Amino acid sequence: MAGQKAAPLLKDELDIVIPTIRNLDFLEMWRPFFESYHLIIVQDGDPSKTIKVPEGFDYELYNRNDINRILGPKASCISFKDSACRCFGYMVSKKKYIYTIDDDCFVAKNPSGEDINALEQHIKNLLSPSTPHFFNTLYDPYRDGADFVRGYPFSLREGVPTAVSHGLWLNIPDYDAPTQLVKPRERNTRYVDAVLTIPKGTIFPMCGMNLAFNRDLIGPAMYFGLMGDGQPIGRYDDMWAGWCTKVICDHLNLGVKTGLPYIWHSKASNPFVNLKKEYKGIYWQEEIIPFFQSVTLPKECTTVQQCYIELAKLVKAKLSSVDPYFTKLADAMVTWIEAWDELNPSGDKLPNGAAK
Amino acid sequence: MAGERATPLLKDELDIVIPTIRNLDFLEMWRPFFQPYHLIIVQDGDPSKTIKVPEGFDYELYNRNDINRILGPKASCISFKDSACRCFGYMVSKKKYIYTIDDDCFVAKDPSGKDINALEQHIKNLLSPSTPHFFNTLYDPYREGTDFVRGYPFSLRGGEPTAVSHGLWLNIPDYDAPTQLVKPRERNTRYVDLVMTIPKGTLFPMCGMNLAFNRDLIGPAMYFGLMGDGQPIGRYDDMWAGWCTKVICDHLNLGIKTGLPYIWHSKASNPFVNLKKEYKGIYWQEEIIPFFKSVTLPKECITVQDCYLELSKQVKAKLSSIDPYFTKLADAMVTWIEAWDELNPSGDASTKLANGAAK
Repeated sequence: MAGQKAAPLLKDELDIVIPTIRNLDFLEMWRPFFESYHLIIVQDGDPSKTIKVPEGFDYELYNRNDINRILGPKASCISFKDSACRCFGYMVSKKKYIYTIDDDCFVAKNPSGEDINALEQHIKNLLSPSTPHFFNTLYDPYRDGADFVRGYPFSLREGVPTAVSHGLWLNIPDYDAPTQLVKPRERNTRYVDAVLTIPKGTIFPMCGMNLAFNRDLIGPAMYFGLMGDGQPIGRYDDMWAGWCTKVICDHLNLGVKTGLPYIWHSKASNPFVNLKKEYKGIYWQEEIIPFFQSVTLPKECTTVQQCYIELAKLVKAKLSSVDPYFTKLADAMVTWIEAWDELNPSGDKLPNGAAK
Repeated sequence: MAGERATPLLKDELDIVIPTIRNLDFLEMWRPFFQPYHLIIVQDGDPSKTIKVPEGFDYELYNRNDINRILGPKASCISFKDSACRCFGYMVSKKKYIYTIDDDCFVAKDPSGKDINALEQHIKNLLSPSTPHFFNTLYDPYREGTDFVRGYPFSLRGGEPTAVSHGLWLNIPDYDAPTQLVKPRERNTRYVDLVMTIPKGTLFPMCGMNLAFNRDLIGPAMYFGLMGDGQPIGRYDDMWAGWCTKVICDHLNLGIKTGLPYIWHSKASNPFVNLKKEYKGIYWQEEIIPFFKSVTLPKECITVQDCYLELSKQVKAKLSSIDPYFTKLADAMVTWIEAWDELNPSGDASTKLANGAAK
């Protein structure tokens, strides 16, 4: 097997969604790994600016004018002047899988000095089952050279379909503003060779920098909320999507993996700017987290859309007292689902069993 | 900090418990790391055999005669002809921390070729908090060079006291008999540089080969059950202790870490023998796991002993229908607590509030 380069997996079944306000030169470094795939570029900010995409990439690009044109009034649910706008790309995609990456994320190297094909690892993660019902101490049992350990119930060894693959970052870590202010020099240099399933019932902070998911299984839950222009909060888009997604995955018996692959995060965002954006979130998350930890969805909710609409109701009922923003957000969640269903009229596919 | 050798941490606060039926030559390899510590050797099998311990180690040794003498009738709760007997060592220890290791476990090397001081890593794990209430994607935030990530609630960043540190193994993986039969050549060669907290509400398969815990916080839950001679099951001792321990830790807001350190597991046990031992467990665990997942302990249970006795009641009530073994086991769980409290009369050591563990 050494030396063999297999055909790119899922070449015609996966879109790469990239939000940007600048040129996409970073794609040059990713060319060996991305060139076979279709890109969906969501251009934030000034729509009159031209985004330069390196030669040879197959892509569609949407700016704010396009978003407004395509969604009409429903465009109100898509954030402006925030990378949260990327979820528009998930909505317009026609593919089964999405990989999303930030434009300051580059190819990392593994400990043996080899370039990491992040997309390939995400695909492996998505195409093998997850194990949310019981913790395996050797982490992902479906990886080469590992398995379930003694004491792992046999009836649980088939696992459940994997909906999300959450990758990590070397170099600039994804810290909040207070941590960035206190530890400006800290870099993540630890390469942890693990993929693991986040157990059922456990919420996590989902980072949208290096993220892949099965759009058929969980797409409608990947709404990145109302952030940026005209909104009281920022840098909680992926967090919001992650909490909703995990609660719904737990309800629908889908798995979320985290760990490999790593990308190299090159740009440290400005902590003073970040603090302004996150400020309310620092307090709000103290109430949002217990809310999500206590959410139960009715058995009757059997599709992602149903779960999400129910979640929107609960958000409106229970979080509006925190701030009127949550009423707006709950409404936007509903708008998002309406827009999703409009653009994706086939609706409620059952999840495919994922092969080992 | 490079080149500095810190004093062995917790030198007078930690006992190393080793079950054995053979000589303890394996300790030679561990000498640089273990010699400052007191050992408790639990000799299983024939009590007339002499166990040779390498020179220079400070130890106490208990064979079956000692166990019978010390516990009298309560000795019935301690397994015979099974490494489960090791939990007797936990009971007689007077220290705050326990490290237990099997005698076929050797010093492993990290990817840079350096010998791994497993005990030191366990101590670091135990002395820093756990984070069971919310998952940190950079794993243990208290390790050097890392922290909590964006989106981690600030009110949870104090963490919880760590009760258990569960280490892993390179080389021979801890597989069950069916897996050993199907994959006899598989070796664990992947060094995963992480420590993480097992989230609240999640059960795990606890392996006793390379395990450390805070005896004050969780000791009485570390009963390794009825295995071996005269029992219908084996190789579920650590599993049983792990399920009980995790449920109780979740109830008492204590944390369990898993991951580093690695040891080198040298000996592959015989899969045919293992299958005989595990056979009933393969079926029983299908019912045991849902039982543990659904256990709730009353608010009134505030000590480990309270929790454990309550658990034993529920085991008797809900698992006896699987096999009469569970009635025996539930009774043995009670006997264990009685014996523990007799040998550890400060009694409410487990109600001590956990010391805030410094980062």
